[in-house]
Amino acid sequence: MIIAFAASENHLKANIDPHFGRCDWYCLYDTETKKNLFIENPVRYNQEQAGCDAATFLIEKGIKMVIAGRFGSKVVDVFKTNNVQMIIPQTQQTISKMINSFHLT
Amino acid sequence: MNICSFKLIFEQLFINFMANLVHMARNKKDRLIQMAPHFCGFKPQGVQCKPGYEVSINFEEYEALNLCDYELLKQVDAAKLMKISRPTFTRIYESVRRKIAKAFIEGSSIYFEDGNSTISDWLKCNNCQISFTISDNSDKSCPICKSRALIENN
Repeated sequence: MIIAFAASENHLKANIDPHFGRCDWYCLYDTETKKNLFIENPVRYNQEQAGCDAATFLIEKGIKMVIAGRFGSKVVDVFKTNNVQMIIPQTQQTISKMINSFHLT
Repeated sequence: MNICSFKLIFEQLFINFMANLVHMARNKKDRLIQMAPHFCGFKPQGVQCKPGYEVSINFEEYEALNLCDYELLKQVDAAKLMKISRPTFTRIYESVRRKIAKAFIEGSSIYFEDGNSTISDWLKCNNCQISFTISDNSDKSCPICKSRALIENN
């Protein structure tokens, strides 16, 4: 399963970004191979529809779960129709901490 | 004599402490909203908005106005949808009407902000401190700790 994190910087100690559509980087993490890949957000400077474009861009990569601080209402619709699970952490957390919590159980 | 006075002082302190506990405001129950507004607020035309005079409307107040005046539900039914009592709903509705009237008359801008509300279809896990959606209807468990002790909204 591939998980996408909205990251503010391109390393694992970075915080999870509060904005899904206009964050700087996405971290794609594969739970089976335990490899992570950082890709730059191609649509972050779009005038409008940044969230929807980012969502379709990530769905093409085959993600099944996405973690960010906040999702817009249009993005929620896109992810719901494509059966992607969304997670919002209620406290500020780093990417490495979230990845570790997936492997604890 | 000394012990007696100490006892009295401690008793007084204890009573004060309990009184403080009693008078502390109770946490507000989360109001259930169907969808947050997809824009940030309103600005009046033709005048310059003064900073500091904005009117803020909570998401639950927006939802109350939506249910009552846009979808034309009765207050009893709307209160059931938001999972609050009818008097609470009336209070929220009254407050949003006054806020809108204030903004209209004084020509100040309106912006929406988060209040004590949760959006339906989202689940909460208190153990992991996350809220999440379920991708399909098969399994209702937390994606991280796999526990089924979740707070459901609907």
